[in-house]
Amino acid sequence: MTENLSPDEVASQVIAIVAKQAKVEAAAIKPESTLKDFGIASLDAIEMIFDIEAHFDITIPDQGANFDTDTVQSLVDAVDKALAAKAAGPDAAA
Amino acid sequence: MTQPPASGVVITGMGAVSAFGEGAERLWQGLREGRSGIRPLRHARADKMRIRVAAQVPETFDPAQHCSERTLPLLDRCSQLALAAANEAIAQSGLDFSAGDLALRTGVIIGTGVGGETTHDEQSRLIYEEHTGRVHPFTIVRLMVNAPASQISIAHGLHGPTFAVASACASANHALAQAAAMIRSGLVDVVVSGGTEACLGFGSLKAWEAMRVVADDTCRPFSQGRRGLVLGEGAAIFVLESKAHARARGATILGELAGVGMSADAGDIAAPDPAGSARAMGQALADAGLAPEDVDYINAHGTGTQANDVAETEAIHRVFGAYAARLVVSSTKSMHGHALGASGALELVAVLGAMRDGVVPPTMNYVAADPACDLDYAPNAARPMRVRAALSNSFAFGGLNAVLAIRAPG
Repeated sequence: MTENLSPDEVASQVIAIVAKQAKVEAAAIKPESTLKDFGIASLDAIEMIFDIEAHFDITIPDQGANFDTDTVQSLVDAVDKALAAKAAGPDAAA
Repeated sequence: MTQPPASGVVITGMGAVSAFGEGAERLWQGLREGRSGIRPLRHARADKMRIRVAAQVPETFDPAQHCSERTLPLLDRCSQLALAAANEAIAQSGLDFSAGDLALRTGVIIGTGVGGETTHDEQSRLIYEEHTGRVHPFTIVRLMVNAPASQISIAHGLHGPTFAVASACASANHALAQAAAMIRSGLVDVVVSGGTEACLGFGSLKAWEAMRVVADDTCRPFSQGRRGLVLGEGAAIFVLESKAHARARGATILGELAGVGMSADAGDIAAPDPAGSARAMGQALADAGLAPEDVDYINAHGTGTQANDVAETEAIHRVFGAYAARLVVSSTKSMHGHALGASGALELVAVLGAMRDGVVPPTMNYVAADPACDLDYAPNAARPMRVRAALSNSFAFGGLNAVLAIRAPG
């Protein structure tokens, strides 16, 4: 279901998950928005990452990001990267 | 604060099992020398986890050395560790519980975050994965959270108030605080108290992994580039005694548990609030009758997570003001890992060692200063210095804070 998505489709699906967690309209979320802007605290951010991982069947690495202060765009980028790693094969996905 | 100074509770025995092996002395020497107990994770399913490292009790630990053959089948790993540590502490104290009514006036208060998690994990695997349809008949008595306290009371014939204290990562400090309060109230003369944890089963490791707070390299408290906590396991147990009781029998006093401070953030379930931890530190000082400048050393909670280390630094500034810059603050979790409900007890071994030897253990794995963590953390090298009084911080998920104030003997 999440195979061969276009970059726009990935972005809109990530935004839909963020919107659900933040309880705001998807249209209100801009790429430069941060999760903090929508009042998503650290534990909620971790739950949202968990939902995103399940949705795309990917693993997003722990480090290198502060999910509550980073932008929605950086989250989309992390998903793109994880999807690319998955497409490259199970060995590369780790 | 209007409470009178608490000068009545002393420590006359200590024992530990940690990533450094068996013995409080072995733990202390490891910390003093800045050695690391953190190793690649030893687990049958290590390949199925993102967690790469842990501070585990070495495989050489043999529970049969510490408890009777008859008792062994009844014990989860957390009780095995607790018994080994309690035996050592009681032996050091020199107490004879068969004398007079001492056994009736001795309690056992043991902190643990989750108790018999290894048992829970193993037995769940049997029914869910192997579909055995049955579990071991001792499952309940092994996994109940009061088992370590009960097993210590049984092994040593102690009949006073005995129960478990659970407050996640602050369990040991809350247990020790409770023990001190019972002695001060006159309810008992002696309490065997501390913390134990052994919860590195597949299920709980996966749960920690999901929370995204575990470092994949090592534990670097207060340092730039820190990537989270490193899980540990172990137990440290102490004999606490009223000062009058200890003096009357001429006991060697290792230190005085001079005051305690406890508070709840009543805010976020996970994110720390410096106001709450500062309140607990302030209470511990007041309870002990210590001024900020009486304190030489703080054994920090210092988990190595982004959030804790910044919040704890801020809390220390709030309590100590300008004097904060003159304190030495170190996190020994950089070496013995975060043993959760046992961590405050392992860290009390560090504080007592520092007082005895005049050496503050270092914060290891420190790379470079984080501007938000601007105290003296004794980075990477032990600090020879006199420690007259110290605080030992433990702050738990759930927003629960417990701080011990310890005075050097003498």
